[in-house]
Amino acid sequence: MLNTYTNSSTKIQGRLSVWLANHKLPHRPLGFDYQGVEILQIRSEDWLSIAVALYVYGFNYLRSQCAYDVAPGGLLASVYHFTKIEDNVDQPEEICIKIFVSRQKPKIPSVFWIWKSADFQERESYDMLGISYENHPRLKRILMPDTWIGWPLRKDYIVPDFYELQDAY
Amino acid sequence: MLATKTKPMIVSMGPHHPSMHGVLRLIVTLDGENVIDCEPILGYLHRGMEKIAENRTIVQYLPYVTRWDYLATMFTEAITVNAPEKLTNIQVPKRASYIRMIMLELSRVASHLLWLGPFMADIGAQTPFFYILREREMIYDLFEAATGMRMMHNYFRIGGVAVDLPYGWIDKCLDFCDYFLPKVNEYERLITNNPIFLKRVEGIGIIGKEEAINWGLSGPMLRASGVQWDLRKVDHYECYDELDWQIQWQKEGDSLARYLVRIGEMKESIKIIQQALKSIPGGPYENLEARRLQRGKKSEWNNFEYQFISKKPSPTFKLPKQEHYIRVEAPKGELGVFLIGDDSVFPWRWKIRPPGFINLQILPQLVKGMKLADIMTILGSIDIIMGEVDR
Repeated sequence: MLNTYTNSSTKIQGRLSVWLANHKLPHRPLGFDYQGVEILQIRSEDWLSIAVALYVYGFNYLRSQCAYDVAPGGLLASVYHFTKIEDNVDQPEEICIKIFVSRQKPKIPSVFWIWKSADFQERESYDMLGISYENHPRLKRILMPDTWIGWPLRKDYIVPDFYELQDAY
Repeated sequence: MLATKTKPMIVSMGPHHPSMHGVLRLIVTLDGENVIDCEPILGYLHRGMEKIAENRTIVQYLPYVTRWDYLATMFTEAITVNAPEKLTNIQVPKRASYIRMIMLELSRVASHLLWLGPFMADIGAQTPFFYILREREMIYDLFEAATGMRMMHNYFRIGGVAVDLPYGWIDKCLDFCDYFLPKVNEYERLITNNPIFLKRVEGIGIIGKEEAINWGLSGPMLRASGVQWDLRKVDHYECYDELDWQIQWQKEGDSLARYLVRIGEMKESIKIIQQALKSIPGGPYENLEARRLQRGKKSEWNNFEYQFISKKPSPTFKLPKQEHYIRVEAPKGELGVFLIGDDSVFPWRWKIRPPGFINLQILPQLVKGMKLADIMTILGSIDIIMGEVDR
């Protein structure tokens, strides 16, 4: 499973994890990514209140939102990268948030109303992995045609009418 | 007085409208000449670049990436090699890093030039288009001499670049810098204080500082709204710290400010290139090679820092089970890749964070309440490339 490496270092707490713990906000530290950025896991139902807390903490810039398939048939993950933008800063604090949801009922509250840059990116995550972001103003396909069936970036997705080269006569 | 009240008109603008910069389609609701609503429709150039990446090795994937932002091609290659490099701790020799910086800045100039021309054409001034193509041609000649290709160069490699700079390239590039700086001043004399131009861009599409940050804007869009934020300074990648240059920024946040930021960045890029050409380790290729031959295998000129590539990775180069988010300051803004390795030659997830895609989100808000003709100005000043918006 792909998330085994994140479990190995759950004991180390980063700065934000300590801050959230002090304010009794539920989260689970998942260690750090390869650049030393803290990764936190948040439950989908807690996400909206914690997102507001993050904004209050100073993360004013949602630099990237994306989603991936953790394993074929497994969970789906929605990933958020935040940073603090100020004038002439030098390597400001960063944070990575992950929310894991089940494949059958992937529902996550939208953060569009806090960070507007989630608009297209959440739509793309919906388009590619079928995660529905609740309360998003226009949650519909963005890159694929409206009539498309299936979620292309899921690992168990089968391309329709795929032409196998080996079947070429 | 005869008052006529008509119903709003809904117009589909694009995907083949000449000022939609590719295949963007806007569904515009108009009340006379005023824009009431605007909805961008994307996906006409969607090729599934992220899905393709999931079953290609990095070297196999490199030729694809120049098709994201096909006007700032070096940046797409840079991010494609930077992400795996940093995930696997591969060192880049200093000479390679300098070559990369020179190429990136040339690419930035080329991209800003091909923003300037169409932007001016969008608001009715055709002449600068011919001027910028003349200068851009020279940059592409330089690319062709170094990489063999004008646009889709496939030049960056994990650990460095594909080949060293050819004989005489550094001199040619210096010549270009000397030629280009007066040309930028010429553009400025032609455009910046032109009253017709100012009437079209001043106070059009104003974005406040807080708003710009909240919408996730980056690059010149963010800097024109008064935020001094440039990833080259923030993240300290390549060797930008060793050179003397300033962040270009403006306070106003309108289309004029974005124009001024980009013009300023072109000059700044040339300054970076000139300094980098003078301080590149090993100097021009012919000197380096001659010194290597003269001093033999053990000479200091065979040192790691003077190579154009560190050890070439094998075709079965594996990405470890790690993940990270890496970004560069592309001409359009923050170009990032969120890479998850899977202890295999293929990445598990290769998420591209294209600057154009995210900068485009603010468009409906900017054009609402403006005139129809302002759509072109505002869209032009955002600077999108559909190749990277749709991927």
